[in-house]
Amino acid sequence: MRIGIGVLLLICMSVSPVWAEPEEIEKKGCRDCHRFSSEEKQPARGPDLFYAGDKFHENWLKEFLQSPKVIRKVGYITDPGFPSGNPEVSQPHSTLTHEESARVSTFLMTLHLPDYETGKVDDVPLSKGARAQAKMLFERNFGCIACHEALNLVGKVRGGVSGPTLVDSGLRLKPDWVFHWLKSPEKFLPRGRMPVFNLDDETAIRITKYVLSIRTKK
Amino acid sequence: MILNKKTKFLKTLEFFPELSLFLALIILSGCGSENPTQQVKPPAEAVPVVPDRSAPVVNVSQVTEETRQTYQWYCTQCHGEKGHGNGVNAPHLVVPPRDHTKASYLETRSDEQLFEAIKLGGLAVGRAPCMPAWGNTFEDKTIHSLVSYIRELCDCEAL
Repeated sequence: MRIGIGVLLLICMSVSPVWAEPEEIEKKGCRDCHRFSSEEKQPARGPDLFYAGDKFHENWLKEFLQSPKVIRKVGYITDPGFPSGNPEVSQPHSTLTHEESARVSTFLMTLHLPDYETGKVDDVPLSKGARAQAKMLFERNFGCIACHEALNLVGKVRGGVSGPTLVDSGLRLKPDWVFHWLKSPEKFLPRGRMPVFNLDDETAIRITKYVLSIRTKK
Repeated sequence: MILNKKTKFLKTLEFFPELSLFLALIILSGCGSENPTQQVKPPAEAVPVVPDRSAPVVNVSQVTEETRQTYQWYCTQCHGEKGHGNGVNAPHLVVPPRDHTKASYLETRSDEQLFEAIKLGGLAVGRAPCMPAWGNTFEDKTIHSLVSYIRELCDCEAL
């Protein structure tokens, strides 16, 4: 009996649970830019990750950490070089190995906001007509194109660069997160550089679905 | 075409309630002038209508350090750090962002027009839709102070 308990304890001590922070977070200096808890007080030089499990698709995270691409062409909003377009934080993001990215991604997917509501956006894609209307909302009514890259009708990238690119954002972002971001950005970031729009649910869902449908053909 | 003009005119009225009131008074007085019992005043007594400058419609707020920081944080993305219209998004926009140092244009805009463009966005005031509405982000007081800051940048006022 005692031997059995001892073996069990040994197994528990040798296998890290998925919610345990992998050593790469410290080794790679991730905290230099990102916050992994809302309690951390250091200024964020990159996007907060304490809700990464709500925000990102795991497969995208794994791929991004192995072969990072530039999502914010002029850097993160707090970068002193942001207004001039010359960010101080070098891009693209540092690279992790396959194993490291798997460990970090698994950990990041365990980070959630308390009382986060899911199931706000269904899987039904916009019809062709509804998509055209949502594109008008995105580009014309709310002027999102001024700060975010999207695709025009012939698939060419167009739009501003101060916000993160939204090309292929459907691979990166979860629908519920985009919805909540559009509705209440202050839940995630006390002071962003994007206007608050006070959208009703229906409009937020339409824009969410449009944004996530901006895909390059592969 | 005529319909469009009418619609635009109605929209103008929507955004300038004072103008609506003024026009309503003109229309009413016009109706009244057809009343045969009313005496017509001689032209010598007619008083020209001038705007009452002692009570401006816009409560212009002072430019504070917070105003400058607000401009730097939000507006520079398109309008540039010094307001020249050359922010990081500018090269990617179909319609160039407004150059806030260009007095020759900003003199033709009233403070109310600038206030509404910021609060309601470009589309609502018949300007470029790239300019989003900031009315849910800033309090009116902040928008008034931003108008004052734009006046400082252009070193001009409405003609």
